Amino acid sequence: MIKIENLVGGYKNTPIIKGMDLEIEQGEFFALLGPNGSGKTTLFKLITGQLPIREGKIILSGKEISSYSKLEKAKKVSVLTQEIQVSFDYTVEEIISLGRYPHQKGMLKQLSIADQKMMSDVMEKTKISHYRYTPFRMISGGEKQRVLLAKALAQEPEILLLDEPTNHLDINHTFQILDLLKEQQQETGLTVLAILHDLNIASLYADRIGLLEKGKLLEVGGVDVLRKEEQLKKVYEVEVKSQSHPVVPKPQILMTPGHVITDNPFDFNKSYKIVKNSTYIHVQFFQALRTISNGVIGEGIQWAKHFCNFHVDKHYDCSNPKKDLQEKMNTYDIPYEQAVGMMTAVNLEDMVMETKEIEGIPMMVIVTAGIGNAVDITNEYAVHPSSQIGTINTMLFIDAHFTDGALVNGYMSATEAKVKVLQDLQIKDPESDTIATGTSTDALLLGLTQQGEVTPYAGSGTVMGKGIGQLVYHATMKAVKKYLKRVQR
Amino acid sequence: MQSSFIQKYLANKVFWLYLFAGGIVLGTILLGLLESSVHIPIPTILHIVFENSLGIGWLSDVPKNVEMIIWNIRLPRVLLALCVGASLALAGAAFQGLLRNPLADPYTIGVSSGSALGAVFVIFFQVTIVGLGSYTLPVVAIVSGLITLFIVFGLVRLSSRSLAIETIILAGIIVSAFIGALTSLIISLGDQDAMTQIIYWLYGSVAMRGWSHVQLIIPFMIVGALILFVHYRELNALALGEEAADHIGVNVKRGKLFILIGASLLTGAAVAVSGTIGFVGLVIPHLVRLVTGPNHKHVLPLSMLIGGAFLILADLLSRTVVAPSELPLGVITGLIGAPIFAILLVKERISGRGD
Repeated sequence: MIKIENLVGGYKNTPIIKGMDLEIEQGEFFALLGPNGSGKTTLFKLITGQLPIREGKIILSGKEISSYSKLEKAKKVSVLTQEIQVSFDYTVEEIISLGRYPHQKGMLKQLSIADQKMMSDVMEKTKISHYRYTPFRMISGGEKQRVLLAKALAQEPEILLLDEPTNHLDINHTFQILDLLKEQQQETGLTVLAILHDLNIASLYADRIGLLEKGKLLEVGGVDVLRKEEQLKKVYEVEVKSQSHPVVPKPQILMTPGHVITDNPFDFNKSYKIVKNSTYIHVQFFQALRTISNGVIGEGIQWAKHFCNFHVDKHYDCSNPKKDLQEKMNTYDIPYEQAVGMMTAVNLEDMVMETKEIEGIPMMVIVTAGIGNAVDITNEYAVHPSSQIGTINTMLFIDAHFTDGALVNGYMSATEAKVKVLQDLQIKDPESDTIATGTSTDALLLGLTQQGEVTPYAGSGTVMGKGIGQLVYHATMKAVKKYLKRVQR
Repeated sequence: MQSSFIQKYLANKVFWLYLFAGGIVLGTILLGLLESSVHIPIPTILHIVFENSLGIGWLSDVPKNVEMIIWNIRLPRVLLALCVGASLALAGAAFQGLLRNPLADPYTIGVSSGSALGAVFVIFFQVTIVGLGSYTLPVVAIVSGLITLFIVFGLVRLSSRSLAIETIILAGIIVSAFIGALTSLIISLGDQDAMTQIIYWLYGSVAMRGWSHVQLIIPFMIVGALILFVHYRELNALALGEEAADHIGVNVKRGKLFILIGASLLTGAAVAVSGTIGFVGLVIPHLVRLVTGPNHKHVLPLSMLIGGAFLILADLLSRTVVAPSELPLGVITGLIGAPIFAILLVKERISGRGD
């Protein structure tokens, strides 16, 4: 569709685009990314003809772009920029009719019936038909942009150039506009070449991405180009982390602000307080901790400040545990959005809390244990609805800085330690009469202060992993013994 | 169903607007012919007009002096007012569309004074360019108006990058002041008699001009109007800004040049035959836009019709208010126009803030 060969161009004396080759296929959504001043807008102006091409060429549908007349080009290429100011009270329909400008024929250049139909179609498509007779100046920013998109589509372009079209819009209108564009691309094979500032939006909508730096294309490829953190860091000079979107298999970029890194360190032993009674255990940290857990609330990898273990009745109806737990937290003024929450039927008086230092790194663990539902995960019996509530809930807090990988390592280490306790105590799965590996509803959380050196591993082959294992083993052993004692009584 | 109904209604509305505007023009022409110190009955007036223009007459004994009054004095005066009003209103509408601002007008952006300087020069020194004859006056006025326009735009471009209307009007005032000084200089070179005559001319008037002046303005008015009518879509497109107009395929540079030439033709010719009459180009397009909306397809022709009718009425007022003596036309239009200009300025600032 568009082929750019060895392009040089820009303002007088100082070319902004310094030699660029790019080919954009018919029907694809291509996003140009790059910091301010990298030449994105200049490239656009070279395509639209507002700036002169100094070397190389731009070929549009097989013909050099400078050989098109303005009208011919407007029939092929339309442009949607950031919001533009319209003077006088033109109605929405009149604005859209301007999109028909390059198609109007004859001496009088009236709007033909075909023009009218095209206008109705694009208004329908962009859902602005009801604004048809409203003055453009009276509608909101998001609606204005839809009108301008309709105008651009009324041009019946083969390629649509977008210059940060959603910059000033809220997320609702941003996604509306981009969804409309994507639909248009998929239904009619419209080619879209977009300048986007938001890397995450580019990742969600683009088919391919070109990363521009100082007038040159650094890399062209699929959206997974955005997984190259080092490259992005170099181009944008911002700390970035590339993650996966939780729902769509596309990368999302997370930026780390400069000020967080210089935060003052805090003393782990003075950084929390614990409230403990017969209904709940509540560990509150004054700083948020990087957390991995399978709690009822706050599961997965998160940042959280509040860590709770709530007591529930033995015959608790667990049809909606999340909601119940949120309500409970509300009653005790614990903000559940920043919390990890677990449940247990175990008597909370039997809680075990231990602290330990490994190579100068403080750790603290809290365990409540019950083994009424001990299960050997490897036996082949069907899962029975639990008759007796009993679960091992473990909260482990460490004053260290773990990568996500180390978090998972640590999680494994803690789990292995728990299994070892059940093995050593010869706790059996009553169904299979084999040694149990856990109970049916064990919960575990790791909370990291993320202070100090970054620790990439915390498995059994590391000092950190062993430390976790020993601490969890000791505390769990104590807790299970307490439970057994209570049951015997 | 509903939309086609609305479209029909709109089409009808436009039709009625043109009919109404046409009716007003005819009505004001008749009124202009009728209303004066010497009363002449309407049938006689109609007879004289038709007999002299089309050769169809039905009255036999019309006194020669009555015919003189209607055909040689009142009709050319009324038609001249019509042409000048139409030209200025159309030029104003074009300037407003081009500059994307309702405050623009040949007078406020300084074109009128430039044309006036050229006209004064021709009248005072009795210059005739070979081959142009009596058309020397409008041609020089048009060219000097166009030059002034480019000076004003140059000044704006140098002082600010955007074509902000305040800057344009300020530049217009600066250039007008300078040109006014030049005009005064020329005037002061002459004797008392010529001085009074030129000063009075500068105030603007369509009195005592006769058919020759109607002949002077008509070709320029037709050419200027045609140029602008052909470019009505470009004027609409420019409402989006020059860049966006370029994106929909408008040749902005060429369009702007033609629009400027068309508007300057109209302004220059009007100034050449009538002096500087301000604010017609400001007020009329604004009123028309209130009724029709901003689409230049209708704003341009309707501004022409209403502008013509307006100036006939203003002229009527100028010769009846202090009869038997006359007020200059520019005084009347200034008295009406300047307050409206002020109101528009305030309104524009308020809506600008609201955006």
